[in-house]
Amino acid sequence: MATNTLMAPGLQAVGLGPYLTVGAILLVLGVFGIFLNRKNIIIIMMSIELILLSANLNLVAFSGALNELSGQVFTLFTLTVAAAEAAIGLAIVTVYFRNRGSIQVEDVTLMKG
Amino acid sequence: MILTQIAFYLFATVLVLSAAMVVSARNPVHAVLFLILGFFNAAGLFLIAGAEFLAMILVIVYVGAVAVLFLFVVMMLDVNFTQLREGVQRYAPVGAAIGVVLLAELVFTVARWQVVPHPAPIAAGNGLPPGITNTEALGRLIYTDYVFLFQACGLVLMVAMIGAIVLTLRERPSAKRQDVSKQHARMPADTMEMMSLSLGAGTTGNHALAAGRDGFLRPHDGYGAVADEGGPGVRAPEDHEADHHHGA
Amino acid sequence: MNWTLALPEIVLSCSGLFILLFGVLQKRSEPSFACTMLTLVAFLVTGILVVVAPDGAGYHGQFVNDGFSRFMKILSLGAAGLAAILSLDYNRQEKTARFEFPVLLLFSTLGTLVMASSANLMTLYVGLELQSLAIYILCAFARDELTSAEAGLKYFVLGSLASGLLLYGISLVYGFAGTMEYAGLRQVLTGGAPLAAGLVIGLVFVIVGLAFKLSMAPFHMWTPDVYQGSPTSVTAFLAGAPKAAAFALLLRVLAQPFGHLAGQWQLLIEIVAIATMFLGSLAAIGQRDIKRLMAYSSIGHMGYAAMGIASATDAGIRGTLVYLATYLIMNAGTFGCILAMRRRGRALTRIEDLAGLGRTDPTLAVLMAVFMFSMAGVPPLAGFFGKLMVFAAAVQAGLWVLAAVGVVTSVIGLFYYWRIVKVMFLDAPVAGAFDHRAPSLSFVSAVTGVATVLFLLVLGPVTGAAQAAAAALFG
Repeated sequence: MATNTLMAPGLQAVGLGPYLTVGAILLVLGVFGIFLNRKNIIIIMMSIELILLSANLNLVAFSGALNELSGQVFTLFTLTVAAAEAAIGLAIVTVYFRNRGSIQVEDVTLMKG
Repeated sequence: MILTQIAFYLFATVLVLSAAMVVSARNPVHAVLFLILGFFNAAGLFLIAGAEFLAMILVIVYVGAVAVLFLFVVMMLDVNFTQLREGVQRYAPVGAAIGVVLLAELVFTVARWQVVPHPAPIAAGNGLPPGITNTEALGRLIYTDYVFLFQACGLVLMVAMIGAIVLTLRERPSAKRQDVSKQHARMPADTMEMMSLSLGAGTTGNHALAAGRDGFLRPHDGYGAVADEGGPGVRAPEDHEADHHHGA
Repeated sequence: MNWTLALPEIVLSCSGLFILLFGVLQKRSEPSFACTMLTLVAFLVTGILVVVAPDGAGYHGQFVNDGFSRFMKILSLGAAGLAAILSLDYNRQEKTARFEFPVLLLFSTLGTLVMASSANLMTLYVGLELQSLAIYILCAFARDELTSAEAGLKYFVLGSLASGLLLYGISLVYGFAGTMEYAGLRQVLTGGAPLAAGLVIGLVFVIVGLAFKLSMAPFHMWTPDVYQGSPTSVTAFLAGAPKAAAFALLLRVLAQPFGHLAGQWQLLIEIVAIATMFLGSLAAIGQRDIKRLMAYSSIGHMGYAAMGIASATDAGIRGTLVYLATYLIMNAGTFGCILAMRRRGRALTRIEDLAGLGRTDPTLAVLMAVFMFSMAGVPPLAGFFGKLMVFAAAVQAGLWVLAAVGVVTSVIGLFYYWRIVKVMFLDAPVAGAFDHRAPSLSFVSAVTGVATVLFLLVLGPVTGAAQAAAAALFG
């Protein structure tokens, strides 16, 4: 698969492996950002964006390597969904901030059991 | 070949480093700035993989809308007044550093772009004629084969819009809103009256004077408040009562 | 291209837009009631269209109509309709009756319909996101309540994480199989070529993302907090239609494209089901809040329903579908009773508030007891038949451990469901009677209560429909 002659020229020069590696690093950074962040909810939201970016990077790289456009079409849709997700997430954070007066992660512990 | 590889590793390194900075930054404003830098570099990687249109969309939608939305919310929520006073100087170094990196990369990309101008070949596997550009190919696909998902994504955006409004919009009773239809329906006669003043006399309470032809145009009330159709003041309580009954 | 395949979805989305417009333009009075009624009409019309819609695949292999999608869509629409009726009284009393509520409920239900008809991983993702995004908003809908905002925030963060992992999994599956269509994936996987590691990792990511949406252990941690913090009218919806839709996705993805890898995912599902059943029943014992109890109860039910998938047979899938149908009925009825817990206008959620209900309001107490016994699986109530079918399927498939765990956790479940019945009938009343019940709540509780008691009468047709759905899935 990696030696497909119909691959995009840039991808041919670099190869698929480095792309997937970058995607995997971004995924790991995003997941770490969610679980290790003890400070600020907005940074958690940005970590989610990083995870989505990693998936998009994978899709684009595979689409180029397979020389098949459905991956790019899907990326277009996931970008749309991610933008909607960011808008809703920030709206919820705003509502939370209005009620709580803080966006510290430690404060999100009202319910326990 | 080698230039492409250099470009890839440049973009990839900056992307990974800025992602690490996003996750580890103490200051959320710095995190947003690094997120923007990261998205720019991801766009560079998209470009190398032959997805020109998506690269542009990533810059326009992500940097232009989403990241700015993040920045807006950070600035709105995380208000710390002692920090706010430091203002520009505080964010200047990080902002400048990111700006320099971005500029260098843009120059690099544009230069490279002219070296290799031909578009990536589009597969016959998608049923498209060969030799069309990436943007055209995507355009031909999303409105035909993928129209169902395209519309569904439209509904996702619709839901996001409803959500953002329903969660954050607050109706303040004291707020004055513009009512366009009322403004359009406003006739000069409803709000202004011609007054003829005899020399030396005041206008206060002396409406009997308004018989002459020449005189001043005087508004009934302030510009912002639009008079009720039934005349000001008198019928207002009844209207209110009627509204109430209708509502119940 | 036969666009009429998706006629139910098109009609539902157009009516959603119309209801939104209607709500926005109604300036004088609060149009929430009218919008909810219009939403119910839209659900009804869509349900009729779903029943008469022709079978087939369309939209460039993204959309499929078959017996399975029809069954799941009817379940989703029914559960969403009941939740919409339940929301009427609660939203009015809590002053959250805004017309956006039914509109968001409608779009979330539309997402579940798209999920049920997915024939492509793209459709799966977009449908799932449409459904989830609307629910995130609904969870935070009582925007002046801190608990509601916190529930929305938690659900959003963890739900988006799950969606992100799911998307990453989809990207790996796409890369290593070269296609996102279920039919194409099936072809690649049955080709006999050695299985790429990336494909297996992708499948695991996809299963993890869906398991999160189904709140199966170990991805259940959001469930109790979100159930407790959200407005109860939202919890009633959240515990119903979205669960059915997520099961529809899981069943379709595992049975159709990855059907030949059953040996690979069977064990994974079995372990998850065992952990889920144990967690659901053990953690529910100490709960004092009825909404939290319902959260753990629903976790446990998802575990039982997953037993049918783990057996990976026709009979197992049929059992899962019947189980889901009974669960949705019991769930709507139980929330009808919970929403009726109100004294002097204040909603109550503690279990001790039910004390002495047998004396102060015998009708409500008997209905609640029926639902509790049905959830525990006491014959001849509805819940018993669902359990019986999944247990039988597990035994037939030789999964003795799974069936034994199911029996043990059912006994533990009986214990905590019995505790509620005991509080209602044996404890002395601590406060006065509940407020007068709204007719909408009485209606839902009565209808679902009768359905629970007399489920035996419709068992034949329901099982027949489930059988047809399972056959369509494997065919």
